[in-house]
Amino acid sequence: MDNEVGHPDRPLARGEAGSKGAAVEIRRIKDALDAVIIEADDNLEGTVDHIYASDLMSDVLAFGKPNSILLTGLATRQAVISAHMAEFKGVVFIRGKTPKDGSDHFARDHHLVLLSTHLDMYDACLRIESVKRGETPAAQPAAVAGGEELLLSRELVINGNDFASAGMVSTEVKSVLKTIGLDPKLVRRVAISTYEGEMNVVMHAKRARVALSVTPHIIEVVIADEGKGIPDVNLAMQEGYTTATEEMRAMGFGSGMGLPNIKKNADELLINSEVGRGTTLVMRFKI
Amino acid sequence: MTTKDLIDKVGLRPLSTFEHRDVNGVFVSDMLSDVMAGAKSGNLWLTVQTHKSIVPAANLVDVAAIVVTGGKDVPQETVDLASKYNIAILVSDLPTFELVGKLYALGSFAR
Repeated sequence: MDNEVGHPDRPLARGEAGSKGAAVEIRRIKDALDAVIIEADDNLEGTVDHIYASDLMSDVLAFGKPNSILLTGLATRQAVISAHMAEFKGVVFIRGKTPKDGSDHFARDHHLVLLSTHLDMYDACLRIESVKRGETPAAQPAAVAGGEELLLSRELVINGNDFASAGMVSTEVKSVLKTIGLDPKLVRRVAISTYEGEMNVVMHAKRARVALSVTPHIIEVVIADEGKGIPDVNLAMQEGYTTATEEMRAMGFGSGMGLPNIKKNADELLINSEVGRGTTLVMRFKI
Repeated sequence: MTTKDLIDKVGLRPLSTFEHRDVNGVFVSDMLSDVMAGAKSGNLWLTVQTHKSIVPAANLVDVAAIVVTGGKDVPQETVDLASKYNIAILVSDLPTFELVGKLYALGSFAR
């Protein structure tokens, strides 16, 4: 179970965040870290008694206490397995890392929460410490410009090539928006636009983070993917233009209507794409 | 015209569990983006697609029911997901063209 090989370009952290005190809800940790969910099921409502921060899995096994959450930069299945062995409740991957080796399946089978935060280990520890002390964590950067009051924000993840789950993120977005009593016609436009964006990720990208924010005047959905990018955005905006495979088209995807459909439904659409890195869509809807 | 009326009148087989609702028109397409762009809330959606992602699509555009034509087998996971979201999946043994003819002949959906 040892997995102590450090990454050549950075030393291994051996820090252990302070871990005594009252139980902390996992959801509060997620919020404080501005983290996205990789795998959670309904275990987000649980609590943990300790936080353990380490990149050395043998330390986790030797010193980790049951009912902890692990903060680590080791984005592998070994980290998740070690957390399970040490009877942890979950793992938070730092610096935006996400394991790509089926760790999420292992986590699901063993009821572990997997989160990913863009923060580094130091900042992640600080934020959790402030939550444990009962302080409000630093304000999260709202995706919406203008500094309006944020009524609701939600982060979700879309996995590329996961045709079986295609549409589930937009379904979640729709349910969330419906619960706050917005006009069903508006919700439908947001849902359809999000669905088209989600399909593009499923077909063409590795994965994407989806950030939904609602202020009193604007609903904003940002879909930021890691993928191949769009070489010619104007071409991609043309109805019927598609780079989908025959197989995708046989399933009813990729008719070249995705981006045009979003443009039709959203009040504002911004596309920022870099070939070889990925595409970010910002869709805004006036309330 | 409700989903219940249509099941009786044109011989559709319900697969999922759902609540009956009013049907206000018919939309035919096998391309999901087309459904997103063209289907109206409360429409009957005729398709030959049977994979799981027809369920979120139907839920998002709020169609009254998915009708799988040509008597195709619908995977159980599609049916289960539909039941979870209260989406009607109905099967017709008729090919799309013939079913459209029968639906049109009912008179309720003519334009």
